[in-house]
Amino acid sequence: MTIVDDKLTFNPKDGVRHIDSAASGTQAPAKVRTKNVTVHYGDKQALFDVSIDVAPRRVTAFIGPSGCGKSTFLRCINRMNDTIPIAKVGGDIFLDDMNIYDPRIDVVELRARVGMVFQKPNPFPKSIYENVAYGPKIHGMTRNKTELDEIVVSSIKRAGLWSEVKDRLNEPGTGLSGGQQQRLCIARAIATRPEVVLMDEPCSALDPIATAIVEELIDELRANFTIIIVTHSMQQAARVSQQTAFFHLGKLIEEGRTEDIFSAPKHKQTEDYITGKIG
Amino acid sequence: MTDLTATIPAATSEARAAHTRRRYASEKRFRMYGLASICIAITAVVVLLGSVLARGLPAFTQTFIQAEIFLDPAVLDPTGARDPEEIRKILTFSYAPLIQESLTDLASELQAGSAPGITPQLLAGMVSEAAGANLRNYVLANPDQIGETVPFEFLTTGRIDQYIKGHITRESSMGDTRVDPAQLNAADQLRELGLLERRLNLAFLTNPDASENRPEAAGLGVALIGSAYMMLIVLVLALPIGVAASIYLEEFAPKNWITDVIEVNISNLAAVPSIVFGILGLAFFINFVNLPVSAPIVGGLVLTLMTLPTIIISTRAAIKSVPPSIKEAALGVGASKMQAIFHHTLPLAAPGILTGTIIGLAQALGETAPLLLIGMVAFVVDFPGPLPGGLFDPATALPVQVYNFTQRADPAFVERASGAIIVLLVFLLIMNTIAIILRQRLERTW
Repeated sequence: MTIVDDKLTFNPKDGVRHIDSAASGTQAPAKVRTKNVTVHYGDKQALFDVSIDVAPRRVTAFIGPSGCGKSTFLRCINRMNDTIPIAKVGGDIFLDDMNIYDPRIDVVELRARVGMVFQKPNPFPKSIYENVAYGPKIHGMTRNKTELDEIVVSSIKRAGLWSEVKDRLNEPGTGLSGGQQQRLCIARAIATRPEVVLMDEPCSALDPIATAIVEELIDELRANFTIIIVTHSMQQAARVSQQTAFFHLGKLIEEGRTEDIFSAPKHKQTEDYITGKIG
Repeated sequence: MTDLTATIPAATSEARAAHTRRRYASEKRFRMYGLASICIAITAVVVLLGSVLARGLPAFTQTFIQAEIFLDPAVLDPTGARDPEEIRKILTFSYAPLIQESLTDLASELQAGSAPGITPQLLAGMVSEAAGANLRNYVLANPDQIGETVPFEFLTTGRIDQYIKGHITRESSMGDTRVDPAQLNAADQLRELGLLERRLNLAFLTNPDASENRPEAAGLGVALIGSAYMMLIVLVLALPIGVAASIYLEEFAPKNWITDVIEVNISNLAAVPSIVFGILGLAFFINFVNLPVSAPIVGGLVLTLMTLPTIIISTRAAIKSVPPSIKEAALGVGASKMQAIFHHTLPLAAPGILTGTIIGLAQALGETAPLLLIGMVAFVVDFPGPLPGGLFDPATALPVQVYNFTQRADPAFVERASGAIIVLLVFLLIMNTIAIILRQRLERTW
């Protein structure tokens, strides 16, 4: 059996896929739009013509089996793939109306607008305060210590970590538990007041209780941020996201409202993945 | 599956037991090999340190004769004005008769005792040629004591010193033109009288080198300053250049055949024999750039070139060992590449960089061969001037001084060579200890 059924592959000529605006109840324009994004690692193509619109102030989940390109695609959105010398990104990605691969775009500014939380909690080996203050500091977002303190405190509060760390802001961030570290990383990511927060399997290194806390946090954060989360856990996608996109072998197979994807997948591959037959 | 297992005959319990015995025996053998090699290593270190300490520690003590000396104003200050300038005009040469005179009484006292052969001349011959210079320094420091009789400690010659230290005996000094048996008798008697004693002599660390005739006055002062100047040059040049090169190669350089060639060459440079760097120094820095011979600046530059590969290799390893997740985190919040490197990668790599630098410095401190070629083996008695001009004055270095001492004919220089080795080893020990402390202090976990 061939893994890719021609009938099911995404046809780039379809152009941009639009989210179901009826479901969102608003006609809000997409926060992130991508058009025919391809990624090559050297000679190997990792991503094939992915076009998707990501709705603002919602959680969009990218799901799919390992190696399907979902993380690769996520890392295109804040140009983290730039750090890999052999990675070549094609196509267009728009943040609002700005083409982020425009040569005039400063990648540093882009990453202040598109924050990122990584798979493994990776706080800096500095104090909790320093961890959160670092982003605002390098972007010159504050004029004095008081403003910086405010940003740090509000970011930690928003990340739901305040009650646990308020008495030890000067202790190293690496001394926290795994779940706390990941929430610290979320606080660090939102401290630069980004519009979009990318999360690359943020709970894969956490225990179930810490996972539940982080998922709850993600749900709260969607009031202020556009969140894109990559996960290999379908249950997690079902719990936290409103929109879901299914990737398989570097192609975007299907996307839509999370309920629709999980209850009535249109494509056989999606169904196979959701029911556990592949992946 | 069942067919497969059936074809393999079950091992008998005896065969299995034999196999286990063999395995245990080979493990035991291996442990013994390890133990034996550690014993050999420890024995080697103990023998090495033991012999160096046994030979070298006496260099830190020296024998002195105590006597009263009349600081004759007619000789030392003919003008009577106590003008330092005038006193300075009286050279060491004029002090020698004073010393001999002051020992005349002592000589007659000894003649009456168990050293009948001793004459004032022979007794004065037991005092080092350096004693005059010491006395002159004393007078220059205390001009008000001219005209008084003061107690003074006269440095003895190397022969007397060696006799007191037990390195030469009456039998071995037979036929030695530089020591008379009567002097040895006098030394024995003076020791009984408490007028001759061996005491700590830190002048070994501060004196410049001395000529063949006065091993007792030879010291490491010039070598220590020369080595310090060179280490300063190495540190100031090699650390920033090495770190900058490592950062570029590790973080910015495109991965292509040119960088591969550079990498291979850096590794090869680390393995180039040090004397080759000496030839380079001679050909380039001295013959082409026309820098002065024997100067710490040339030595420092040569040692910098030699130390660079060590620093680059260890710095690159330290940068590589910083988890990429930290750099990603910094980039993720919008730090530029430079910010990510300077705010996060470098601080985390600092312990490794510093350790590599100190080990490189320690290597450079002990390096002899390249310095021989650029003329630092010269006999230097004048101290190099203060920085930065002193970098261009002639100087020697510690390991070269060791080599220099071993080339002298007088056996008294053997203990001075060993003493210099002790000083060198102490410095290396201190540097390695600093490296360990820095590593432990700065190391952070993540």
